[in-house]
Amino acid sequence: MASTLRLYLTCIRNTLEAAMCLQNFPCQEVERHNKPEVELKTSPELLLNPVLICRNEAEKCLIETSINSLRISLKVKQADELENILTKKFLRFLSMRAEAFQVLRRKPVQGYDISFLITNYHCEEMQKHKLIDFIVQFMESKMMFLFAFSTTFPTFKVATFTDLLTLIKR
Amino acid sequence: MAVMAVHQFAQCITCHAWSPDQSMVALCPNNNEVHIYRLVEDKWEKVHVLQKHDQVISGIDWSTRSNRIVTASHDRNSYVWNLEGSEWVPTLVILRLNRAALCVQWSPKENKFAVGSGAKTVCICYYEQENNWWVSKLIRKRHDSSVTSVSWHPDNILLATTSTDGKCRVFSTLIKGVDAKDSKKGTSSDSKFGELIVQLDLSSSWTFGVKWSPSGNTLAYAGHNSMIYFVDDVGPSPLAQNVVFRDLPLRDVLFVSERKVIGVGFDCNPMVFAADERGIWSFVRYLGERKAASSGPRYGSQFSEAFGKFYGQSKHGVSNDAVETSRARGTVHENCINCIMPLGDHGTLIRRFSTSGLDGRIVVWDLENEQDLLEL
Repeated sequence: MASTLRLYLTCIRNTLEAAMCLQNFPCQEVERHNKPEVELKTSPELLLNPVLICRNEAEKCLIETSINSLRISLKVKQADELENILTKKFLRFLSMRAEAFQVLRRKPVQGYDISFLITNYHCEEMQKHKLIDFIVQFMESKMMFLFAFSTTFPTFKVATFTDLLTLIKR
Repeated sequence: MAVMAVHQFAQCITCHAWSPDQSMVALCPNNNEVHIYRLVEDKWEKVHVLQKHDQVISGIDWSTRSNRIVTASHDRNSYVWNLEGSEWVPTLVILRLNRAALCVQWSPKENKFAVGSGAKTVCICYYEQENNWWVSKLIRKRHDSSVTSVSWHPDNILLATTSTDGKCRVFSTLIKGVDAKDSKKGTSSDSKFGELIVQLDLSSSWTFGVKWSPSGNTLAYAGHNSMIYFVDDVGPSPLAQNVVFRDLPLRDVLFVSERKVIGVGFDCNPMVFAADERGIWSFVRYLGERKAASSGPRYGSQFSEAFGKFYGQSKHGVSNDAVETSRARGTVHENCINCIMPLGDHGTLIRRFSTSGLDGRIVVWDLENEQDLLEL
């Protein structure tokens, strides 16, 4: 279990290091504009092949790269109803505060739970390896969080369910 | 180490250029200004700020003989700056573009300059004496995507361009009235302006940083697939080679001799490539020292990690992260290097050069003390 998680995260880290080679590139379609090409997708030659990294069917990471921007979409494991509700509440909480994260996309990509958008401006302002650390540790913490709940309260699921919902909605 | 000097000028540098006597440097701090610094008693002092563009400046070139600065910007314009007294006076060059200008370079004779643009065209600008302005002639309908880099052949006629469609092209830029004398003796005297001489289709990804060798016999450019391409005998039947390296892609290259190339890019460390006696190019080594790889990851069991995070505790002396953290790649530069310029005499042998990058530093490198590189 720990081994597959470590390999999964290491693979994502190495792929992000290679994908995060971004540069300032003004728009080819509209004059005086500068837009993330991974969102527009107007010039196919500016996009690289998307990379899909799967740990299993329920956990995957899609990395889409273009010349000046990069989009990372995560799908986290949701083994049962309780984790499903927890994940939805937690990720909606994060999405409503997307400005604070700077690299968080407000709306996840279709079919995924959460998405990040990194542009060349982020690579200029922040250190690249710290950006990669943030995303990988985000994934790690998210999984730890869910795993902790599942393993710590296996026999009290029904009773804790109501309490957790009350706490989350507060 | 080959580093001579490290200077932190800004938070981020887009491009830089040196004055002919190397006492001043012009750089763009990732905005619409050009800052000119002068070395005064071992300290760099800002002496000029050139403000005419209204968007990010993407290219600066400082001519060696006529002492003029040409700048290109994302606002579609280009300016030629002349030093009159103690002030730099701009002259607007109407490039006739409707997209951003991406790169600019003076020709070897400094009677014209080339601008690559996002409008998939290349502008060749020359000065018209009778009207006292700069005229722009466009090479149209030849590129399929933005032109990322231009490089002049030493004969002042041929121009090499790279593009984000992955191709490298060589054009003739013969202009009557400007190149009239050369056309009589040159071998390309029958070519017209904008004629495509060679199209090199070696790369499957974007290409950058094209450069000619000092003699004009070899062409080198970098691809985004972590490859660098060398083309010898550019002409009807060129000889092409490609060198694959295992690290991040390059952004710019520089010929320091006929058979030695320095490549810089996202790895934050200059790479040396050299050709042997038979003309086979290969990667030699990095110029800066590589940091040793970090030790193996330390991790406990999954369950103890879960408990540790859940209760907010951190174990003494043991890192909770299951995967080791990333390390900064470079040793001198901390972010991508996007510009490399020769220093000193622009002859056939270059010993010193400077690099600037997105971390806002300009680093001066000297190959004099690198014995193994001098023998190449």
